Amino acid sequence: MSWALIAGGSKGIGLGIAEALAKRSYNLFLVARNADDLAGAKDRLENEFRVQVEVLSCDLSQPDSPDIIYAWCIKKNPELKILCNAAGMGGSSDFPELSLVDTRTMIRLNLESAVSLSHRFIPLLKMAAPSYILNVGSMAGFAPIPIKNIYSATKSALLFFSYSLKNLLKKENISVSCLCPGPVYSKPSIEQETIKKLGMIGRQMAVMPGMVGEYAVRCMLRRKLIIVPGKLARFISFLLRMLPRRFLARILYRPEN
Amino acid sequence: MKHLIILCIIGLNSLVSVAQPVIPNELPADTTKPYALVAGGSKGIGYGIALALAKRGYNLILIARHMDTLQAAKNKLESAYPIHVEVLAFDLAYENSAAEIGKWCTERNIRLKVLCNVAGLGGANDYLSYPLDSLRYMVRLNIESCMALSLILLPLLEKNAPSYILNVASMAGFAPIPVKNIYSATKSAVIFFSYSLRYQLEDKNISVSCLCPGPVYTKPEIVQDTRKKLGGFGNKMALDPGYVGEYAVKKTFNKRLIIVPGKLAKLSSSVIRFLPRRWVVGIYNGKGKKK
Repeated sequence: MSWALIAGGSKGIGLGIAEALAKRSYNLFLVARNADDLAGAKDRLENEFRVQVEVLSCDLSQPDSPDIIYAWCIKKNPELKILCNAAGMGGSSDFPELSLVDTRTMIRLNLESAVSLSHRFIPLLKMAAPSYILNVGSMAGFAPIPIKNIYSATKSALLFFSYSLKNLLKKENISVSCLCPGPVYSKPSIEQETIKKLGMIGRQMAVMPGMVGEYAVRCMLRRKLIIVPGKLARFISFLLRMLPRRFLARILYRPEN
Repeated sequence: MKHLIILCIIGLNSLVSVAQPVIPNELPADTTKPYALVAGGSKGIGYGIALALAKRGYNLILIARHMDTLQAAKNKLESAYPIHVEVLAFDLAYENSAAEIGKWCTERNIRLKVLCNVAGLGGANDYLSYPLDSLRYMVRLNIESCMALSLILLPLLEKNAPSYILNVASMAGFAPIPVKNIYSATKSAVIFFSYSLRYQLEDKNISVSCLCPGPVYTKPEIVQDTRKKLGGFGNKMALDPGYVGEYAVKKTFNKRLIIVPGKLAKLSSSVIRFLPRRWVVGIYNGKGKKK
């Protein structure tokens, strides 16, 4: 049986991805901080699909997390086909309102954990090739968003990382994808904020986490590098990548009054 | 003939080294003059920037890992310009460095006008050949330290506005370079951070700039690596750290956002930014494989 490891798989987009993989009969390793959320996800996925789900509560922003997760996975002697880095932190407060500690946590969770988990698990993925890495970036990684400064910067780094890794791992037959969604209604606060800040376009562009997970997994298995779910989001992300950054940063900058 | 030239050079050198103590610096250092903090200022581009700031009469706070290179930089700068140079030995990748530097500056109520985040680490074939600890060190030095110092020193910069932040990224931050995976990714984050910060701090009268140089010959390995991978083209594009520092400081005071020194580097970087990323990555990937 093939296994997939999902970091940040207990909620939101990560859970959507877990569901789409369970549907395709992958056994799952789910890692997240909250043990209750993990237990809930395990129950639901095991009942709904005939797969084995293992859960581990672990803070992915901690530097020893890759070793802990690796030691835990290896006990099952799995054929690890998929690594998905879905853990991330964002939100409406960012630089400079965030404290130094939170700023660091955001960098470590959004970028460092994906970099180090991939590094740790590439040997296992190599053995199970053809295999897949799916990093969850964001449309915010296409152009700098001043009010989401650190979030947008770390997601850009993750996007760069995915591009490079794709090229580096081509000969190992490991395919790398980066999911770059627009607004995803994974919790009520995101829905409110999207409607407030982006108005109609935001509402039209927003997608549900289940749809994002399904679409991401489908594209990942087809070895697509950049994955943007939703037609309007795709069109807007095309514009974001084409237009000059300075112009975009200016229009994306709306100071709150 | 060869010997004669060498003799002349030695002669000139000794003249210079004798000349310095003969003309002592009569001007006392004025500590009320504005300060510039250069993180990673003991060598390379950072030293080039420190030199350009010293020339403009700024007192300096230099931060780097090793006290001996810092002390050497301090001696050179203080003997050439009537400024005060303070040196602090910190590893900027360490978690409490930024907070301690911030505390040091705040306690002394430093008239901080310029913050330069220069410290950075790169290398060839980083992701697949480096141990995880080195990759983490790179992330912490290249982006965390830059964001942390900017955050901690923001109140001082705001108080002494108009002031300036200069982040040192790289042309590698314009498009992903597979063989310099983490370097290129972290530099892209520095560029994004600078863009955003520029707009966030505009009404506080703090100007943010980001230096994105092509190859700079700061050490012999870089000269070799550039020639090997990019050939004559790379060699033409490469610049000397002194020139880069001077150019960067000039443009920072002109409030330029993205600073690319050198004509050929400027041209290449506009091409890189314009072309589809996938193409550029493909080209980089081919170049990077050259042994």
